[in-house]
Amino acid sequence: MQRRLFTALLAAGLAFAGAAQADQLADIKQKGRLVVGVLGTDEPNSFLDPKTRELVGYEVDLGNAVAKALGVKAQFKQIAIAARIPELQQGHVDLLAASLTHNKEREAQIDFSLTTFVTGQKAMVRKSSGVKDVPELAGKRVLTAKGGTQEPNIRKAAPTAEVVTYENSQQAFLALQQGKGVAYVNDELSLLVDIAKLGPKGQEYTMLPTNLSIEPLALGIKKGEAGLKAVVDETLRALEKSGDAEKLYMKWFGPGTKTNSNTRSFKFETDKIAG
Amino acid sequence: MPVFDYSLLLKGQYHDMLVAGLVLSLQLAAATLVCALPLALLVALLRLAPAAALRWIGFAYVESIRNIPLLAHMLFWYFAAPELLPAGLKAWLYSGNIEAASAVVALTLYTAAYMSEDIRSGIRAIPAVQFEAGRALGFGFLATMRRVILPQALRITVPPLISQTLNLWKNTSIATVIGAAELMYQAGQVESATFRSFESFAFATAAYLTVSLAITGLAAWYQSRYPSRTA
Repeated sequence: MQRRLFTALLAAGLAFAGAAQADQLADIKQKGRLVVGVLGTDEPNSFLDPKTRELVGYEVDLGNAVAKALGVKAQFKQIAIAARIPELQQGHVDLLAASLTHNKEREAQIDFSLTTFVTGQKAMVRKSSGVKDVPELAGKRVLTAKGGTQEPNIRKAAPTAEVVTYENSQQAFLALQQGKGVAYVNDELSLLVDIAKLGPKGQEYTMLPTNLSIEPLALGIKKGEAGLKAVVDETLRALEKSGDAEKLYMKWFGPGTKTNSNTRSFKFETDKIAG
Repeated sequence: MPVFDYSLLLKGQYHDMLVAGLVLSLQLAAATLVCALPLALLVALLRLAPAAALRWIGFAYVESIRNIPLLAHMLFWYFAAPELLPAGLKAWLYSGNIEAASAVVALTLYTAAYMSEDIRSGIRAIPAVQFEAGRALGFGFLATMRRVILPQALRITVPPLISQTLNLWKNTSIATVIGAAELMYQAGQVESATFRSFESFAFATAAYLTVSLAITGLAAWYQSRYPSRTA
């Protein structure tokens, strides 16, 4: 009798274990919604529109496109930079559209979609500081947000720089304005947006010419979820083919925006990175 | 399930980062304690002063500081307050370790508010006749306090003060939001760099627990060695 009970429990346990491995894609379709993790503080990738107080941005639009392709609703969840990968791994979000850099170290943790954006990481300084390029940051205070790729890149480029990190990039930028550090590091487009936000005072700042790194950004997918990755890549390829990818870039980064870029230097075509 | 990698914690670059964080946390707590105790004593005496104006100052300090979260204090003393200083002083301050300085200021004011209430309770626990006897001997308010009341009151107050010290030790972790490189900050850095959250936060937990238990042990020893004498 006990042996039968034990066997029954064992069978039930194994059945549930099998169910736990079920495809995330099927789960999403069943739930009827796709939970997309975004930063919400990184204009123009994802940010709160000051007039409507709604979450908008380049990556928000990409998230909506993927949800539409799956036939479900997109639900956006704001998460901190340092929490992006843990939240994805623990299943609190299904997809990451959070200015996520695709690099070799992270490939061991999560999967990446096709590269959706390419930017460089640069340092911004006050013109009056007299710093001309990155090597001169040695021994000086450099400010950035915690949990991202900025800090390791700074340490590689200027090993003796003193790095101070804050909860988000806006606090780091505020600290730069207050003079608590010599340089502020973020990806180039965010820096352009920050300078534009200052208006006329933006003239006091300049970006150091050397790139601390080239950052291919991509959407983040939980490791091993081949079904979801296939749908995401398919959606991105369709956007590229129909010309919507170009339109999306011009909408958020093109002429007339704070970034004011004229050409898109990349396409949604590959998920392989250099190095 | 990933294997728990002890080597990370015992030697190497990440171990050094975590230990540096622990050292800074201890320094923040020690600096705050040294500054907060005298301030707490002052505020407690202000609240018990004969002059109403002084009592009001003490009351205003305690109520305004206690009713605002420590996180708000930290952000205020780091982002807002230094901006009000004159430019020369500000530049000198920013070239030094402004993060730790702001953290100590915020923690001192916050901890002193709570400690002053504990000290005031201790003083009030001494029978009023002691104070009257002191005054009858011709001592003024401060002299009576110093010679008669405080020596008795402080013995009673030490256990609550030690529990406030315990709170202070844990509150040093809040300095992470203003960029002070203390233990929680370093644990987060190690976790971002190595993706090993369990190991880095296990180290932080063990460190906080060890020091907390040491503080609690100190309280227990003090209470057995110097029990409070009833009148």
